[in-house]
Amino acid sequence: MDRRILEFIGDLRRAEIRISPSEAVDALAASAEIGLGDRETFKTALATTLIKESRDLATFDRLFDLYFLDLQALGEGLKKALGPTDPRIQDLLERLMAEEGIELDPLTELILRGGGTEMEMAIRQGGQHVGLERLMYFLQIGYFSRRIQDRFEWDEIERDLARLMQLLEAQGLDPGQLARIRNYLDLRLEAFRRLIRQHVERELERRAYRQGEKLTREVLTDKPLFALTADEVAQMKSVVARLARRIKDALALRQRQEEKGRLDSRRTVRRSLQYGGIPMELKFRRRHREKPKLITVCDVSDSVRNASRFMLQLVWSLQECFSRVRSYVFVSEIAEVTQAFNTYPVDKAIEWALRSAPVDFHCRSDFGYAFSRFCRTELESLDRKTTILILGDARNNYNDPQPWAMKHMRERVKGIIWLNPEGQWGWGIGDSVMPLYAPHCDVVRECRTIGQLAQVVDNLVHHWWRRGR
Amino acid sequence: MFKSVEDVQERFREASYIANRRIATVVYLAERMGRPVLIEGPAGVGKTEMAKVLAEATGRRLIRLQCYEGLDEGKALYEWKYAKQLLYTQLLKERIGELIEDTHSLPEAVAKIAGQDDAFFSYRFLSPRPLLSAIQADDPVVLLVDEIDKAEPEFEAFLLEVLSDFQVSVPELGTIVAKHIPLVVLTSNNARELSDGLKRRCLHLFIDFPAPRDELEILRLKVPEISERLAQAVVTAVQRIRAMELRKPPSVSESLDWARSLVILNAETLDAALVESTLTMLVKYEKDMERVKGALDKVLADLG
Ligand SMILES: Nc1ncnc2c1ncn2[C@@H]1O[C@H](COP(=O)(O)OP(=O)(O)O)[C@@H](O)[C@H]1O
Ligand SMILES: [Mg+2]
Repeated sequence: MDRRILEFIGDLRRAEIRISPSEAVDALAASAEIGLGDRETFKTALATTLIKESRDLATFDRLFDLYFLDLQALGEGLKKALGPTDPRIQDLLERLMAEEGIELDPLTELILRGGGTEMEMAIRQGGQHVGLERLMYFLQIGYFSRRIQDRFEWDEIERDLARLMQLLEAQGLDPGQLARIRNYLDLRLEAFRRLIRQHVERELERRAYRQGEKLTREVLTDKPLFALTADEVAQMKSVVARLARRIKDALALRQRQEEKGRLDSRRTVRRSLQYGGIPMELKFRRRHREKPKLITVCDVSDSVRNASRFMLQLVWSLQECFSRVRSYVFVSEIAEVTQAFNTYPVDKAIEWALRSAPVDFHCRSDFGYAFSRFCRTELESLDRKTTILILGDARNNYNDPQPWAMKHMRERVKGIIWLNPEGQWGWGIGDSVMPLYAPHCDVVRECRTIGQLAQVVDNLVHHWWRRGR
Repeated sequence: MFKSVEDVQERFREASYIANRRIATVVYLAERMGRPVLIEGPAGVGKTEMAKVLAEATGRRLIRLQCYEGLDEGKALYEWKYAKQLLYTQLLKERIGELIEDTHSLPEAVAKIAGQDDAFFSYRFLSPRPLLSAIQADDPVVLLVDEIDKAEPEFEAFLLEVLSDFQVSVPELGTIVAKHIPLVVLTSNNARELSDGLKRRCLHLFIDFPAPRDELEILRLKVPEISERLAQAVVTAVQRIRAMELRKPPSVSESLDWARSLVILNAETLDAALVESTLTMLVKYEKDMERVKGALDKVLADLG
């Protein structure tokens, strides 16, 4: 059994569920405690030791059902696949075999008697050394079905069947009856082949579960954001969630490593006054890094909407990395949408921010106006711990860019970072005013794909806020 | 020790808790394997209660550590009473004088005092908090770390260390090793993601809203005065309201509150007026309330 559990764990890992060696060991121990008597209990024992994220439970369930086939349910399914049995013919054959005492190939017997479960076991046996681990694509199903079929002695079976027919003929059955029986046997052979194919299909699903998804994801990560279809945008959400998690994990690890601090002599001495100058309590300087404040300012006009969407998702999924996050969106009028993120799940809040925020989407982007409004209303709330993260293509539709506003903002904050979803070659061409804003920014980055976006945010979280400390 | 998964279910029921087979299996494994259980799930589905009942069913003492933002080692593990220690030292100055009276050199005096270490560094000055209590306990205990997601990730890392070896070192006293490995239950409402390390260490149990059959059992157990007919109606209505994707769907605790107030009102069945006047027991947000009120006929359809 252990071998099967480990193989199943391989399936889970291929479906991108992270399972550590110690968890695999736990699963073996748990199943040993529980035994195999009850399928549901066994399943729980595996789930509780292997699956630590509720969101992975659905994948687990599906793969469990594919791998640890419910033989009883399968038997029912197979019966259907085999088609109806004809009790009269079945009787006749049984009697014949008993009377004549003939030696049949085991497979022939299986086909004659036709227990679904036994057939599945035989097929599984047959599939053991045909290289199923190379099965990855839909197109390979035919090939592997044939390879498994070749493992059975079809000549032998054919000879057995022919002999049976001869015996029946010798017993004096008429040609009509004989044809019916022959036809029945052929159908069973056919059904057996179909079972082999079904087995291979199931194997494919189990081995390649969510591989397709992974492939799409890899492609999407490098696709220009503006070119994403609505469908792809939806798929992308999980990509971004994954990125956020990776960034967080890495950060948590680093924090743990930095945990232990140095002796804080000042606080130790101060504390010792209480004990007549004896340093009873040692105080350590917790290398407590104060979390940064973050303000995001996103252009949400059509051209850059996708980029804004994903940046908002990424930033708000990382909100525990910051002491405070505030978000603004603009086309030309600018509005704060922080409240939505504090009230709704990130997903909903983004839709709300993109759709119903008090911003008129039909007018054309006016960065200058938006920044000047921002300056007027929010300047007071900016401070040296704040970083402003701006996302926009800086295509100002020939409006007044008012770069002075950026300058004022920059004087008040720790830094301004600009992410531009447009390729760098376009900056400054046509109505792009990027070169006017760039001097007031600490970092300006091209951010055309999710891959780039992730890199920028990752860099910010890991490096930008450590500078100058 | 539990004898079997069924044994868990039975003993939990005796302690007034309905454990479905999944919950019972995980509890069984946790005791057998000596592993902490991490329970996740929406508020009010019986996570905290499960730990309490586990203590009752196993005859262990329950020690609870409620987590909150800013919880640190000092508050969770122990505090050293420096002031008291100092006071003792001051008061005992004379005795110390006597003690070293007949010594002739400084090293000799120091050695003499060092011989009395135990008096200066003793449990007298140690004030244990839940984690240390659980480790020090002479009797087997259940340690409940409630709402771990409310504590900071730093605390989580520290907790993981404790849960890995069940020993702590107190600089003044040395290492304290647990006499019995406590049964540990952690709960989380998923306010934030927990660290991989902690999750790897624990058995994971996701408790969702109960199946209708189980919820009916819970009602019968916790509100014994309720009539069978009303109990059925309450369960069905609650199920339908949960399916409405409210901002905060009613949990077991809410459906119990609701059932209790219906019993107090002597209700026999559910009708629109009654539901509307008691809805605050069940649904907490204004918006949710309006949505339920708007769909009352669906919620109450075919309920006798
Ligand atoms: N399976 C159950 N059996 C008995 N009572 C339950 C069950 N689930 C929930 N309850 C009751 O619901 C209420 C809420 O449970 P609690 O443990 O506080 O929820 P949580 O800790 O998950 O927020 C308690 O009064 C508890 O008795
Ligand atoms: Mg609770």
